[in-house]
Amino acid sequence: MASSTPSQMADMTESLRIALLRADPALSRFDPLPRILSFDDFSRGHCGWSQLVGNYEDTLDAMLPGYAQHSSAMISTLGHWDAGSHGGMDSSYALKIATRPKPGAQNVAIKRHTFRKRGPIRFEIYFTFKPEASELKLSETDVRSVGFLFDLQGGDRDSDSERVMPHLRFLNAENGKFLQKWQYKRETTEIKPLGTDDKTVSHYHLAPEGWLDLPDGEQKLCYNEIPTKVNWSYLRFDFDLEKMQATGMQCNDRTFDVSGFEPIRIPAMKNLWCMLNFCLFAETDVAKRAFLYVDSICISGDF
Amino acid sequence: MLPENITAIIARNERWSGDAASEPYEAGWAREAVFFIRALKQPIGASPRGWVEISPDGMHWMREGTEFDMPAEVDGLTSARVQHFGNWLRVVTQFAQGAECTVLITLHLKA
Repeated sequence: MASSTPSQMADMTESLRIALLRADPALSRFDPLPRILSFDDFSRGHCGWSQLVGNYEDTLDAMLPGYAQHSSAMISTLGHWDAGSHGGMDSSYALKIATRPKPGAQNVAIKRHTFRKRGPIRFEIYFTFKPEASELKLSETDVRSVGFLFDLQGGDRDSDSERVMPHLRFLNAENGKFLQKWQYKRETTEIKPLGTDDKTVSHYHLAPEGWLDLPDGEQKLCYNEIPTKVNWSYLRFDFDLEKMQATGMQCNDRTFDVSGFEPIRIPAMKNLWCMLNFCLFAETDVAKRAFLYVDSICISGDF
Repeated sequence: MLPENITAIIARNERWSGDAASEPYEAGWAREAVFFIRALKQPIGASPRGWVEISPDGMHWMREGTEFDMPAEVDGLTSARVQHFGNWLRVVTQFAQGAECTVLITLHLKA
């Protein structure tokens, strides 16, 4: 029998990898790159998704107001007053990020890693969002947005190191207007020094200003018919850590052109080398809590 | 496998006065919960009683039965321990006119 060429061997290896993934009930719904960095299904706790706390020095009063409003994420069964627990896709539990009941309030959960190679990474989640079901109304414009961001910085020996923060949000509604579109942002707020030791700065990159429409980024998601019915949606975002550029995005049946997508880029900071952070956020449009629920997350890379 | 446990920060550097309550927190997976309430600044006025509340839906609340004294001095620490609480938890208090306390409230949950 003729021996296989290296190319044939690589094809067989990839076919075997795909077959193993497809046969695994937990991972089959994802399309991970060759290495899985983390897989979170929230039936095993918070899986490292903690509260995004703001920077401070000497006193917590120094924390910027955008961060001061953040609180810890929860593990939820999506329990509803009229229908009981909705549950996740594959277990009873999902991660829940809840805002306060104040127009424009936001909350952010974060997972903090570093990378070992500047190459492709893939972020996949199954998510849904709803306002608190405090009214017997559809309430489809009460959630302003849900989204995610990465917080990245190159290695300490890299010549091109910057702090790079790709942001993407689904702008559901704003000031009561149903908008349903994907947006990104290229600018953060002013970088402010904190305290007196010249060691700590802060900037609020989720400020409401500066969001730009993703080209052809309008999308109608499955909101369902009352505030206590939810459906899980798939989201994938690909980013190249070498070029620090977005390379792909998909939500449910739609893929989006990210050739015009630009992340926030600011000068490298002195303690953030090889940073690989992932954030999820929710924002309410009205005086009612907004909830982002995440059933599962698969973060993978080619390294 | 070790049992799950988590420390959640549910109020940080919040200046509480009048009718005050922490945001609802879902903890149905946990069998036991401990709240710690710390005063980050010198409280002003009389320190009231606080109490734990439970809820069937995160929107309608009733007293669980556990009560505690709000901290009376800066870095004063008080706690409340609860079991059999269903899913939603919060702490509530009520300050007299002019009284206030800047709080750090942490919730420690164990499966």
